[in-house]
Amino acid sequence: MKNMSVLSRSVIHGLIILYIVFLLFPLLWVVASSLKSTQEIYSGSPTIFPQQLSFDHYRSVINGQQIFRSMWNSVIVGTISTVLVVLLAVPSAYAMVRYKSMVNNAILGWILVSQIFPVILVMIPLYVMLRYIGLTDSLIGLTLIYVVWSLPFVLWMMHGYVKSIPLELEEAAVIDGASRTQVIFNVLMPLLLPAIGASALFAFISAWNEFFFALVLMKSPALATLQVELARYTGMEGQARTGPLAAASVIATIPSIILFVFMRKWFTTGLVSGALKG
Amino acid sequence: MRRILFISFFLLIGSAAVFWLMTKNNGHKDQPLRFVSLAWQERAIATNKSIVNEWNMLHPEMRVEYIQGTWNSAHDYLVTAFETGDVPDIFHYESSVIIDYAMRGYLTDLSPYISTEMKNDILDVAWATVTRPNGEVGGVPFLIESLVVLYNKSLLEKEGIIPPTLEHPWTWEYLQVAARKMTKDTNDDGVIDQYGAGIGLRNSANIIMNTSISFGGSFFKKENEHFVVHVNAEEKKLLQTIIDMLYKDKSISPASIGETGAGMIPGFFSGRYAMLIGIGSWGRQQLVENAPKDFYWGVMPPLKAQSQIYGASTQTLSVPKKSKRAKEAMKFIDFMLSSKNTARLALNDWMIPARKSCLAMQEFQDSLGGWDITCASVSTLGVGSWVGAPGYVEWKSRVANPVLQELFAGRLSVDEAAKRIEHESNNVLLRYKKYGDVW
Repeated sequence: MKNMSVLSRSVIHGLIILYIVFLLFPLLWVVASSLKSTQEIYSGSPTIFPQQLSFDHYRSVINGQQIFRSMWNSVIVGTISTVLVVLLAVPSAYAMVRYKSMVNNAILGWILVSQIFPVILVMIPLYVMLRYIGLTDSLIGLTLIYVVWSLPFVLWMMHGYVKSIPLELEEAAVIDGASRTQVIFNVLMPLLLPAIGASALFAFISAWNEFFFALVLMKSPALATLQVELARYTGMEGQARTGPLAAASVIATIPSIILFVFMRKWFTTGLVSGALKG
Repeated sequence: MRRILFISFFLLIGSAAVFWLMTKNNGHKDQPLRFVSLAWQERAIATNKSIVNEWNMLHPEMRVEYIQGTWNSAHDYLVTAFETGDVPDIFHYESSVIIDYAMRGYLTDLSPYISTEMKNDILDVAWATVTRPNGEVGGVPFLIESLVVLYNKSLLEKEGIIPPTLEHPWTWEYLQVAARKMTKDTNDDGVIDQYGAGIGLRNSANIIMNTSISFGGSFFKKENEHFVVHVNAEEKKLLQTIIDMLYKDKSISPASIGETGAGMIPGFFSGRYAMLIGIGSWGRQQLVENAPKDFYWGVMPPLKAQSQIYGASTQTLSVPKKSKRAKEAMKFIDFMLSSKNTARLALNDWMIPARKSCLAMQEFQDSLGGWDITCASVSTLGVGSWVGAPGYVEWKSRVANPVLQELFAGRLSVDEAAKRIEHESNNVLLRYKKYGDVW
C-alpha cells in the first residue's frame, strides 16, 4: 500500500514536471533563440540550446529600437490605469453588494454584455470621440481607454470578492462602535487586499499586453507602447527578425515576471476567494 | 486609515502630475509630415531612416517624421486612419491593397504631381499595378516583388542536372522531372529526407495567382462589364501540377502546406529541399547573410509553362486623400524615390527596383546574390487581370487562401476546389458591384 502510494505520487510528480516543461518550453525556446546567432537560428539542424552564446540580438535591440522608451510608456500607462481601475472598482463593487437596488442586476448584466463587443466595432467611434477632446496620440487617452476597458471585468471580480465577506463582520464592528469609514478601511480592506492585488494584476497585465488600441491611437513613435514596438520585428508574409524579436520579448517579459513573483500569493488567494462565493 | 487615505491621495496627485507632464509634450503646432514605413529588415529600416534624415537636413522647414509600421497590422491601422481622418501624410504599402483603397476614395490621385522624369523612368508594368483606367494613380511604385526559384547548386550537380539559364529556362515539366530525380531517402530508413522542392503554401493565393498567368490563366475575367471568377483548364493545370508533385511524385515536401517561403529556408540550408519554388526575391537576403559557408545556391529564371510571364506586384508610397499636405508629401516622395534612393532601398530590401535607371546600375547586374537573374525577370512580368478588381483583397483572404489550403492538404480534388472557388468567389464579388467595376 505504501509502495503504491509512493508510485502514484511519483507518477503525479512526473506528470506535473512534464506539464511544467510543456508550459515553460516556449519561454525556453524564446530565451535560447535570443542567445543564438542568426546563422544558428536559420541552421538546418536546429538545437534547443545555443551552440555558442551570442548577445548580438540584445545589442541590436538596445541600440536599434526604442525598446526602453516603449517599455516605460507601457509601465506608465499600465500603472496609472491599474491604480484608477482599482480606485473606481473597489467602492463601486462595495456599493453594488451592500446597497441593494433595482439597477444592480441590470448593471451586472450590462458589464457582461459589454465584454461581448469586439474592439474593432468600437474603435472608430471611440477614436472620433477621443480626437474631439484632443486625447488621441496621447498617453492620457490610452490610459483612459484601458481604464474603461478593464473596469467592467475588475468590477465583476471585486463584486464577487466583496460578496464573499459576511455582512456579520461589518455588523459586529458597528456594534463595537466603528463608523462606516472605519468599517471599510479597518475591517473590509485587510480582507479585500488579496482581491485588490489580483484585480490590480489583471488590470496591469491587460494594459501591458494590449496591442490594437495602442497601435491605432498612438501616432508618434515616442509614444509607442511595448507591444507595438515588438510587432515591428515582424515582416511580410509571416516573416520575422527572429533573433531580435526573441531578445526584445525576453526584455519585455521581465517586468511582468517580477510583478507576478511579488504578487502571485495575492493573485492565487484572490482568485480562489472570489470563485468560491460568487 | 489615515495612511490609506494618504496613499490614495498621493497616488491621485502623482497620476495627475504624470498626466500633466505627458500632456505638456503633446501640443506641437508645426507638425512634421508623417511617413509610415513598413520596412522591417534591419538594413532596410536603416536606409529609410537615413533618407528621411537627409531630407530633414535639406528641408528643415518641411520636416518628415519617420513612423515604423508593421505589415501585419497595416490594414487595420490605415483603414481606421482613413475613416477617422487622422491620417499619415505618406504611407508605404503594396499595390494590390492600395488599388482597393483608391477605389474606396481613400487616396489622393498622384498623377498631377508626378514629374516627367519619374513617370518615364518607372517601368510601365509597375505603373500598371497602381493606375486606374481613368488615369488616377494611387501610389508611386518603387520596389517590385517577384517570385523566384532558388536551387541548391551542389545537389543539382550531384544528380548531373544542369541548372537553367536566361537563354534556356526550365519548363514546369522539366522542373517536375528534376524534382523527382532529387527526391531521396538518403539513409534508407524508408522515409524521404531529401525533397526535390519545397513551396511555401501558407498564403498560396499570391503564388497561384501570379503563376497562373504563365499557364495562360488568370482566374478573373470580365463578363458584361463585371468581374467573375472562372477556374478553367489553364488554372486547373497549374493546380494539378502542384498536387501531382505533392501527392503523386512526392517530390514536394508535405511540410510546405503550412509554411511560408521564409520558413522553408532552414530546410533549404540543411539539404532537405533541393529547390525552393515561389519564394519572394527578398528571400535571397537570408541566404547571403545566413547560409553555411559551404552552401552554394543559385536563382532560376522564371519557369516556363505556356509563357514565362508572371504577375507583378509592387510596393508603393501613397498619400491619403484626407492629408492636407499632398503637395508637400509628393515633394518628399520625389526625393525618397529618386533613382539613387530607390537603388539604395532595393539593394537593402533585396527587391527589384521599379526604375529603369536603377536596373541599369552595375549592382543590379551582379551575379553575386542572384541580382542578375532576379532583375532580368523584369522582362517577364505582367499585370494580372485581377489587379483592380473590386473585392480582390477580400476574395484572396476569404475564398482563395482557404480553398487552396484545403486543396493542397488533400481534402479536395482540383475539380472540387475549382467549383468551390467559382461559387464562393462570385458571391463575394456580387457585393462589390456597387463600386462600378470600372476596370
